[in-house]
Amino acid sequence: MTVGRAASVVRFGRPPAIRKPLRVDPRTRLPHPPVKIVTRDFAPCRLEDHYYSTLQDDLMYLTYKHELGPRPPPRQIRLTYDPNNPYSKYRYNPPVGGSQLGRKPPPPCTAENVIQLEMVQLHIMHKKAITSRSHLLGPIMALRALSGETEKGGGQHALEGVQIIKSKKQVGGWIRKGIPVGAKVNLKGHAMYDFIGTLVDFVMPRIREFQGIELPPPSANTETPAAVSGVVSFGLPPSAMGFFPSNRSQPGRVSRNVWYAYTFRDQRNRCRCAG
Amino acid sequence: MSSRTLLSLCRPAIHSSRRFMATEATQLSSSSTFEPVRSSVQPRKGKKPILNTAIILNRSPLITRTPTTFERAYYAYQARLRRALSNPFPYEFYFKQGSILETRFEMEEQKRERRAFGPTFGKPKEDDDKEKAAANRAAALQLAEQEGEFEEMMPRSHSSDEAKDYKSLDRRGKRNLYLLLKDANDFWRFPQGGIQKGELLHQAAQRDMYDECGKHMDAWIVSRNPIGHYRPPVTLSPEGTPLPEQVTFFFKAHILQGQCRPSENMKDFAWLTKQEIESYVDKHYWDGIKDVLSDN
Repeated sequence: MTVGRAASVVRFGRPPAIRKPLRVDPRTRLPHPPVKIVTRDFAPCRLEDHYYSTLQDDLMYLTYKHELGPRPPPRQIRLTYDPNNPYSKYRYNPPVGGSQLGRKPPPPCTAENVIQLEMVQLHIMHKKAITSRSHLLGPIMALRALSGETEKGGGQHALEGVQIIKSKKQVGGWIRKGIPVGAKVNLKGHAMYDFIGTLVDFVMPRIREFQGIELPPPSANTETPAAVSGVVSFGLPPSAMGFFPSNRSQPGRVSRNVWYAYTFRDQRNRCRCAG
Repeated sequence: MSSRTLLSLCRPAIHSSRRFMATEATQLSSSSTFEPVRSSVQPRKGKKPILNTAIILNRSPLITRTPTTFERAYYAYQARLRRALSNPFPYEFYFKQGSILETRFEMEEQKRERRAFGPTFGKPKEDDDKEKAAANRAAALQLAEQEGEFEEMMPRSHSSDEAKDYKSLDRRGKRNLYLLLKDANDFWRFPQGGIQKGELLHQAAQRDMYDECGKHMDAWIVSRNPIGHYRPPVTLSPEGTPLPEQVTFFFKAHILQGQCRPSENMKDFAWLTKQEIESYVDKHYWDGIKDVLSDN
């Protein structure tokens, strides 16, 4: 093998000439790739690296609870249904009195068990969409610009993209059941970290009179499943939408006069704030 | 076994500085009879150990790590795939027709297409009004310059890297740096000190840190509980009886601003990565602390 100039690993040659056109999907009129492709991470993630180099150790030390000796065996509470009965064998079978989720002690603290971000959900509810569903287009496109997620994007079959939310209940004088009123999108992995980086660097410093994210007070009851689920929800004012760099180019599209209710939910696995 | 001896056996096991806490924790929780993890622990009658606290003062990484060649190739390939498979972008919704932002986005996008797929892609559109298009492009370039697009980035290695200035806090921006002090006996160790009467461990740690490293630092101790402990080899007094043991508990702290100014009895200080620390400290100390320090 001759020693010449090293080939660049980030440059590519010309794409091959198309000899036979690809098979086209009749409904979407888009070509089918000849192999099943799944795209994954396409850039290094700054916040994820920061988590693994700095945050993870600190969080482990901060949330560590020392346990003296082995735990006493848990209280055996009878199940709601008979697990041997073939009619109720595969039913959801919690203990009598509830799932005990908030009342059980958290799992023991280990290096593998450190608190971590799992998912971020962005949710916009638009009041004007109650009267006319075309008003939803703005929030949908805004979420699409923020997240970049599309349904089954990149061959990832579990991605749902931006989803439309329909109302659940009928409240007289305001809303009917089953009409589209909002949009949501779930972010995981690199997309999630990139979004949080943008939120923290661009948006939060520019919000007027930002008081921080409100967390439950120390006196709040920690024995409920909601308290131990590790979900943190907060909303941002409508002006925050214009501070995202992806929305910078479309100041007229996302109206500043309308109040959007945003909920950003961070789900953590096995949150240890109970007990 | 009395409950007191049980507790004294238990504490060193849990506060072990080993990273594999998972195996220890599950052993403890699953075992029906409690067994001591360290069989060498022998409670001495009347000889209470002397407790010290030490601070592992850490400067977090300033820049991200360099991706390996494989990672760069992988990311470039995945980015190209993503671009090839992505939906066409709805320009008209996001940009006003004929605006400078639209022109700038088009220019950047054409450059990205050419880089990904070759010179036959990413060709600029044929415009009827060539003068207006050229004017728009010039305005877009000016806007990009105003926003700082063509600024030179700082180099990834600092001048203290070449100069091997071990006192600098800007050295080795990608790694975690830890503070080591050289005491009067020429031993390199973490800043440490004793505990006063009525003081809690984490309070003693903070006081010892500022006593030995000076008050010209903005430092934050991470948690109230120690992150590891160290038991030096037992020394004998001149009479031959074993001296009381000196157990050191480590606390992690981050330096946010400032610099260490060691006290008069300290000869020297250095900010070192984990691998560099190994050559500075003695073997027994290294074995005790190596699992607490970060490889990143």
